[in-house]
Amino acid sequence: MTGFIDLYTEADTFIHRMDPRVKIVAVILLSLVAFLLTNLAYLSILLGLIMLLVYLSRATFSRTMFALKFVLRLMALIIVLWPLFDRSGTPVLASLGPLKITEPAIWRGLTSAVRVGCLATVWYILMFTTSQRDLVRALVKFGLRFDYGLTLAISLRFFPTFLSTIESITDAQRARGMEIEKGNLLKRSRNYVTVLVPAIVSALRTADTLSLALQSRAYGARPDRTYLREIKMRPSDYVALSVIIASLVLPAIARFVFSADI
Amino acid sequence: MIPCTSAIPSQDKVISIKNLKFTYEGGVRALLDICLDIKYGDYLAIVGGNGSGKTTLAKTLNGLLRPSSGAVFVKGRPTTERRVSELARVVGYAFQNPDHQLFCSSVEEEVRFGPSNLGYSEEDVRQKAEQAIVGMNLSHLRGKPPLSLRLGERRRVSMASVMAMDPEVLILDEPTTGLDAEEVSELMRRLRRLNEEGKTIILITHDMRLVAEHAKRVVVMAQGRIVLDSDPRGAFTDIEVLRRSSLEPPAVTLLSHRLSKFEIPQDIISPEELVLHLLRSEGESK
Amino acid sequence: MPALLMRDVRFKYRGAPDYALDGVSLDIEKGEFVTILGSNGSGKSTVCLLSDGLIPHAVPGSLEGRVEVFGEETSKRTVAELSTRVGIVFQEPESQLFCMSVEEEVAFGPENLGVPPHEIRERVEWALELVGMKGYNSRSPFSLSGGQKQRVAIAASLSMRPEMLVLDEPAYALDPVGRRELYSVLKDLKARFGMTVLLAERDCEEAAAFSDRLVLMKGGRVLESGPPRQVLRNPEKLRQVGIIPPQVSEIASILNSRLGKAEYSFLSVDEAEMAIADGLPAWRRGKLR
Repeated sequence: MTGFIDLYTEADTFIHRMDPRVKIVAVILLSLVAFLLTNLAYLSILLGLIMLLVYLSRATFSRTMFALKFVLRLMALIIVLWPLFDRSGTPVLASLGPLKITEPAIWRGLTSAVRVGCLATVWYILMFTTSQRDLVRALVKFGLRFDYGLTLAISLRFFPTFLSTIESITDAQRARGMEIEKGNLLKRSRNYVTVLVPAIVSALRTADTLSLALQSRAYGARPDRTYLREIKMRPSDYVALSVIIASLVLPAIARFVFSADI
Repeated sequence: MIPCTSAIPSQDKVISIKNLKFTYEGGVRALLDICLDIKYGDYLAIVGGNGSGKTTLAKTLNGLLRPSSGAVFVKGRPTTERRVSELARVVGYAFQNPDHQLFCSSVEEEVRFGPSNLGYSEEDVRQKAEQAIVGMNLSHLRGKPPLSLRLGERRRVSMASVMAMDPEVLILDEPTTGLDAEEVSELMRRLRRLNEEGKTIILITHDMRLVAEHAKRVVVMAQGRIVLDSDPRGAFTDIEVLRRSSLEPPAVTLLSHRLSKFEIPQDIISPEELVLHLLRSEGESK
Repeated sequence: MPALLMRDVRFKYRGAPDYALDGVSLDIEKGEFVTILGSNGSGKSTVCLLSDGLIPHAVPGSLEGRVEVFGEETSKRTVAELSTRVGIVFQEPESQLFCMSVEEEVAFGPENLGVPPHEIRERVEWALELVGMKGYNSRSPFSLSGGQKQRVAIAASLSMRPEMLVLDEPAYALDPVGRRELYSVLKDLKARFGMTVLLAERDCEEAAAFSDRLVLMKGGRVLESGPPRQVLRNPEKLRQVGIIPPQVSEIASILNSRLGKAEYSFLSVDEAEMAIADGLPAWRRGKLR
């Protein structure tokens, strides 16, 4: 039941070993590269490279499929919808009343789809190879206050539990004859109340005990808390960082200084 | 797969499970080929450790879970033919955690929720709710918000709300957890009365002492299968089966096994009985 | 100096109509294993919360009387300070494990205390080994059974190296296997370390056998406090307090009344077996009824 949030697959790949901060920066920079490139060929190469990285991240088959299905559906949606809204250019391939399908629009749609594919998939690389703990740790190192980092970590951890509680509550209410789908808007809102109220009460009860548990483990005792596992930049991380920065800087120069069609 | 055999005529069966298999999404095989027949008026305990499949089995009885293969018949019709809300008329399920059900601003409203969902008339709803409230000793609490009550009271409200639907079969999941001695006695008294009135009671529990004292039939589950189905005395005689199913027989049964060399019967389930056998004169037969 | 000292303690939760504790005086000596028996509303959970300062610092209410932990008044120390002396485990496994791995969970306490990483590592390994969860470091809480979760919760307290461990109905949500694992850890802690343990329970079937002392509570008051044999001598009294007595105690009590004596008291099946095997031939010969 944790499939949705817990994309992390434990493995020993070079991506896994990278400092999470470098990975976050990489994802941001690669996203920028995706925006920088306008040429469909180059974008497709980028997408191919990103897919290669996903393969190298050794995520489990089910998680990879989950990610792929999402991305492919998104891309398909864009390919189909784009020409319907973008009607400029020639030659016109088909027309029906105000709708005009033009060839350039199809290419632009494809380009956008591949770009979005890059943007979506590159985040999966991060999620597949970085544990939640490391992600939060990286954010805290970037300057996020530990309190917020902990809040984020706890929310992520309890999300599947919360979903499971809602499922259990829904079962219990269905066993009392409530049909969650039936009825007009008013009736259905009432039905949601029967699930929402116990869910929120349950969450509050858990939060209560949780806060006592946190305090009894000396949370907030001192501002200079230590960490069992620290994240440290290593030489290989700096190398990776340089490569990634170069991968953004070079196309940027090519495009803006030399006006190359990339 | 061996087809289920049954010695009970079909009209006496309120629930009939035939070769039931259930696998959760994600591949966990929770139930493997279950055959079970439950008669009208049975008082049955389904026992087993965590992961034995007992809760999964219970959820197939009121349609919350659909069989992966095989079938569950309730009053002669497969559960897949009816919606959960329809089956709720016949099979009531009191969940383990009462807090997963309570949401109303008064106990009275809460207890009426079930019967009104089933489409009973205003008058019937009022009457059934009243019976349940009185039966579970909640009259003095009827106007209070259920969420403000203590655990034992909340559990009684949750059970009353299921009993108010007047189902023929009542499934209770770990009904005594968190109750004090008096509340447990009261609850079991109420269940015995309901059983005497003809209701079929199914307890899901791992409290073997409770089972020994109240159930008429014990179904032991382990790893998705039924490993034993007999009356309590028969069930507790086989300690090995219980142990393999992560269960402990009541202390008194364990003790009678250890004292077997003194001609103590192996199926003792109450302290009084044990002492009786301990103190009988030499040579006296059972 | 006792591990826990309570004198004439009265406490009312904010917004509650009645006192949760109504004049409780209780001492727990170092190395003692004390089980408080009580049902709902007895006050046993309140005593647990008092023992590590959560009352009064984290739980609002009005507190009267004296509460001292290892000689220090709890009102004068923060919960964080007290946490190095008293660890607490709650009844709901799900609500006290908030990290994504066992190791993180057990390391959380020492991290907050600023313990150096290599020492945290030592403590984590030590604590996990103590509770029988060695090697489970990278497991997520979702993959653990209820009994395993509670043992991790105990480890997460132990890594702070407390001198007293307080457990509020830790076996509540567990099945028989989980209960057995949990109690075996507690027995071990007592035997190996002489750790002071305060256990609050409603079910005393197991706890009776290895507690040094049982304390019966009802309605915010201590009704009786003494060795298990003494307190369990009269199972009826337990029922009055709302507790179901251990079956072996009931057997002893019935045996005593049939024999017209008061000598038998059983705290475990083993003990009952031995005593009965011993006395049975004589009973049968004497044709006592």
